[in-house]
Amino acid sequence: MANETTVAEAAPAKAHGNGHENGHGHHPTGWRRWLFSTNHKDIGTMYIVLSLVAALVGGAMSFLIRLELAEPGIQYNLFWLDNEAAYLQFYNVLVTGHGFIMVFFVVMPAMIGGFGNWFVPLLIGAPDMAFPRMNNISFWLLAASLVLLLIAAFTQGGPGTGWTVYPPLSNAEFHPGAAVDLGILSLHLAGASSVLGAVNFITTIFNMRAPGLVIHRMPLFVWAILVTAFLLLLAIPVLAGALTMLLTDRNFGTAFFDAARGGDPVLWQQLFWFFGHPEVYIIIIPAFGIISQVISTFSKKPIFGYLGMAYAMVFIGFVGFIVWAHHLYTSGLDVDTRAYFVSATLIIAVPTGIKIFSWLATMWGGSIDFRTPMLFACGFIFLFVMGGVTGVALANAGMDIAFHDTYFVVAHFHYVMAIAAVFAMFAGFYYWIGKMSGRQYPRVLARVHFWMFFIGVNVVFFPQHFLGMAGMPRRIPDYPDAYAGWNYVSSVGSYLTTASTLLFFYIIWRTLRSGEKVAANQWGEGATTLEWTVDSPAPFHTHEDLPDMREKQPAE
Amino acid sequence: MRKPRNKNKKTAIVLFSAAAGMVGLAFAAVPLYQLFCQVTGFGGTPKIFAAAPTASMATPAREITVRFDANVNAGLPWRFQPERRTIRVRAGTPTEINYRAGNLSDQTTTGNATYNVTPFKAGEYFSKIECFCFTEQRLKAGEEAVMGVQFFVDPAIFTDPNTQDVNEITLSYTFFRAPNRNEDSDKKVVSRR
Repeated sequence: MANETTVAEAAPAKAHGNGHENGHGHHPTGWRRWLFSTNHKDIGTMYIVLSLVAALVGGAMSFLIRLELAEPGIQYNLFWLDNEAAYLQFYNVLVTGHGFIMVFFVVMPAMIGGFGNWFVPLLIGAPDMAFPRMNNISFWLLAASLVLLLIAAFTQGGPGTGWTVYPPLSNAEFHPGAAVDLGILSLHLAGASSVLGAVNFITTIFNMRAPGLVIHRMPLFVWAILVTAFLLLLAIPVLAGALTMLLTDRNFGTAFFDAARGGDPVLWQQLFWFFGHPEVYIIIIPAFGIISQVISTFSKKPIFGYLGMAYAMVFIGFVGFIVWAHHLYTSGLDVDTRAYFVSATLIIAVPTGIKIFSWLATMWGGSIDFRTPMLFACGFIFLFVMGGVTGVALANAGMDIAFHDTYFVVAHFHYVMAIAAVFAMFAGFYYWIGKMSGRQYPRVLARVHFWMFFIGVNVVFFPQHFLGMAGMPRRIPDYPDAYAGWNYVSSVGSYLTTASTLLFFYIIWRTLRSGEKVAANQWGEGATTLEWTVDSPAPFHTHEDLPDMREKQPAE
Repeated sequence: MRKPRNKNKKTAIVLFSAAAGMVGLAFAAVPLYQLFCQVTGFGGTPKIFAAAPTASMATPAREITVRFDANVNAGLPWRFQPERRTIRVRAGTPTEINYRAGNLSDQTTTGNATYNVTPFKAGEYFSKIECFCFTEQRLKAGEEAVMGVQFFVDPAIFTDPNTQDVNEITLSYTFFRAPNRNEDSDKKVVSRR
């Protein structure tokens, strides 16, 4: 046996030995490094990779949806399905899968799991997360959850319930078979992963800040993750409860949502949106954080109204819990209840207005450098304001009853929440890829990517306002000829968007393969936060000696 | 290193308890929501009174139209209809009307009726004293039955500014097949009130 010891096996052993001499220099290599990882940077990288993989799947689904909607009629001969009923269910599954994957497996892993894990410890001067092993569990639960969801899509026709999973459509009568059950279990795992992650982030941020980095000096991205973690902690368990009720309704004869046996399907809507509304803020608040960092860096100014920005996020998070019923204006709420939810919803325009104002005020008079991250940040502001304006319109119950379940709503939430969040993810990616990989992204291609993506998504979603105002319902694969024109435009936009996404993957490949090396602080004087004080790429262990923030200026 | 680790543990315990508490609240929402509907008449849930209203309640002479609607779920082989479609009632006065149901199949079947009123905002002022829908109903093969409802409309419906435009209330029933019932046994019918 001793003869079989090869050089290759001996090498790690030697590295191991060296590691002990250097204190913290050693770490597992090969697949062990990733599967057993307790390192916040490696786990963050894995989250980002998972998000990229899921983005391909979710993006392909949206592309198929736009292909179907490019022309009136049913384009089912595009696919392998041989009968129309199976194809219609497949379309429903596409819509459902697109929603779930984009929310739970693209945006959340990239911004919270990916950038959050990578940069919260770096930004607060902590050596790692508070519970590194729990961090590992969070990631692998999410990976398992994604696998379960994909299995669900290929089980007995798949779950065609929409991401809102409303009963009675989602109960055993209309979705017999295991597809919806697998979907529910997938969401349970994703929820468990998020709650573990939230506990980890809150503990890290509360207990592990560098000396002198008091809570009112934390960078705004850290504030954003803190608020998001609290939203996750309080909202996800409600979803878990509701999903459990649905699961027992489907399989064990309970009747929480079955009207025939004394239940109430509207109760599902209340519970789902008590989770669902905070969930959309869970998606957008980390985006606020990234955009604040980027705009401050490239305007070479501290953010305008720092405390106002931080507490605007706290206020948005709080109000997010008391406006859920504006998603169910059509469920028969009486006029007083609607009046309350209208006013509470409109109030959200105040803190979001504060944020927009402060971003613009930060740029005002700044020495602005329009690098790619800054372009994406400006794109974010444009999209977020566009979607915010339609949001104020939809907040009014009278208008919402007319627009309910039309493409106007689809256009609204893609602008304000979905695409805006993707812009923030791209801004964060170009901003931090130098720190994460040590390499410069190709500058010209990145600009091309921005313009293709910006034009593409606007061509996709702007016409959907018109379609919605003309009454086109969402989640239906066919439509009258009257809607053909703008649907065609919208589909053309999705071809451009898809091309820009492929370009983005090419940019990643180019960056990692042949990008030039970057300095520790590649952005210069505007980049004042702690992550720019460590080498690029950030070494495996950072902040082993806690940085002393007592003497320094506030971070933002 | 001991002290910060303990602090982390303490923080985590507090946070996990908060998450567990939210799961509890989600389940607590089920009875609370039902209670909320019954107390406020939300979603057209009629109120249930054990006794007829007191005389002082029946003061105004104003009348209101009540319409009766009957539906049967496809899973239950019954015929079901009200004896009359509409009735004019004085607010505050208990009124009794009848529905007729018939079992069209050759088996004993058990049904259970769900109910509400429209407009939903009238639910708060529509009170039932006695109703066939409070219990399960069993009909033998081919059997017909008369099923009574006793109700009154709260006169406060005329003073609430929200319900000034209500001149007509529709009381609607839908009969569903009662689940998992051994139809042939003579077990006592379970009250579902």
